[in-house]
Amino acid sequence: MKFQRGHVIILLIWLVIESCTLQKKDFDNPVDFIANEEKGIGAPTLVFYPKTQSKTIADSILVGAFIVFKEDSMESFSGIHLQIEFPNSFLELDTITPGLFITDTLKSTPLFTYTFDGTNTVDIFAYFLDTLKTDLLGTGHIADLVFNPIGTGSDSIRYNLSVCEMIDQDDAIIELKGDRGAEVIIQ
Amino acid sequence: MVLNHFDRKLSTADAALKENFTNSIFEFDSTFYLLFDNIDEYENPASSYMNTIKDLGEKHKVNFVLFNQIKHDDDRFMLEGQMFNTRSGGLIYRRKIDLTNYLNGQINELNLWVGNVTGNIEKEWQKNRESILFKNPENIVQEKTPLGAAMRSLIFPGWGQAYSGKKVSPRVWAGTESALSLAVLFNFLKYEEATKNYLANLKLYNETDDEKEVERFRNQAESDWDEHKMFSELAIAFAGATGTGWVANSIHAWIVGPRSFKNLYQKWDPQLPDTTG
Repeated sequence: MKFQRGHVIILLIWLVIESCTLQKKDFDNPVDFIANEEKGIGAPTLVFYPKTQSKTIADSILVGAFIVFKEDSMESFSGIHLQIEFPNSFLELDTITPGLFITDTLKSTPLFTYTFDGTNTVDIFAYFLDTLKTDLLGTGHIADLVFNPIGTGSDSIRYNLSVCEMIDQDDAIIELKGDRGAEVIIQ
Repeated sequence: MVLNHFDRKLSTADAALKENFTNSIFEFDSTFYLLFDNIDEYENPASSYMNTIKDLGEKHKVNFVLFNQIKHDDDRFMLEGQMFNTRSGGLIYRRKIDLTNYLNGQINELNLWVGNVTGNIEKEWQKNRESILFKNPENIVQEKTPLGAAMRSLIFPGWGQAYSGKKVSPRVWAGTESALSLAVLFNFLKYEEATKNYLANLKLYNETDDEKEVERFRNQAESDWDEHKMFSELAIAFAGATGTGWVANSIHAWIVGPRSFKNLYQKWDPQLPDTTG
């Protein structure tokens, strides 16, 4: 009886303790404007996805560059300039490709080009010069950047927001209000 | 001489007297049917059967006549012992005892009676008789106690009340505690389900870079989080109620637990005439 009573009490205590455990409400996807807003980062925002990744030296690192708008204050844009800095002490640039957002169902890849200073800065330019599709509206994927590790380390890939620009079809600047970098760990 | 008149057969009575009182010589006359049971009706009870006793003394050459009579009445028996002196024919000693029947009570009482007149009483006979007496309250070991009831209810709600002979409260307690426990279990299972769903949707939310899916998984995860919080609070509330009820049930079992009564009251019968004056 003592044995059974002990089990019942342990079960009840376990149920209560288990029930007391509340999960942390941890929404932090860089593509989620609410999560960015909760961190005090205004929209439109330039972000990378994923926000953090840990790889070995044999892997390649894929980082997506995104523009994130707030749902109720979207603005159409026709051109964008992103300046990205990466830690060249353990990463080297491999490839840059246009994102899905700017090569959508119309399959009309805009003018997409980039320059690399040979050190650690990449400038990406995308413009919509077509007569039918002249701008884009909403949150989306601008570009993919692929890096190769050349050593081990931990640092961030980040935007240089003071240089980054977004314009509408009238060449008016759309203010970028925030950015989020991406942490890369090479082990 | 011993004259035994028993309303039920006690075949071992004669042998027991012979065996237990070896320093006395007994004669048993089974042919003697006269009952000395109405001596109180005589003016002088001690000399009521004087001539009969003297005749018996001469006939059997004995100094004393022991007349033992046992009558049964349900779970009780009455032993009347009379000792006559055959020289005078008078009643010299008499014992009348009315007792609850106990194991070998008739033989034991016969031994005590004869032992008393012969001056040879064994302690064992006295002990046997004490078995029917009320014990000293301090020495009474209660088979059922309030603590026993409380402990039983602590193990299983309502058990202590049932142990105390209650009819309704065991069902009420067992039903209430079962319902509360089921509510704890139900809410805990819902909490577990909501937690799993939350973690699954949070994982999907973190693993996608599609803003529509991000929004969808976030909404689902937030809904799951709210649910897991609500069911957690409900499970804790019901667990608290279950625990409190469990302890209360144990205290109640202790309160209504079996106790010996200090006072006995007779139920008032309204048909009886008022005799209070």
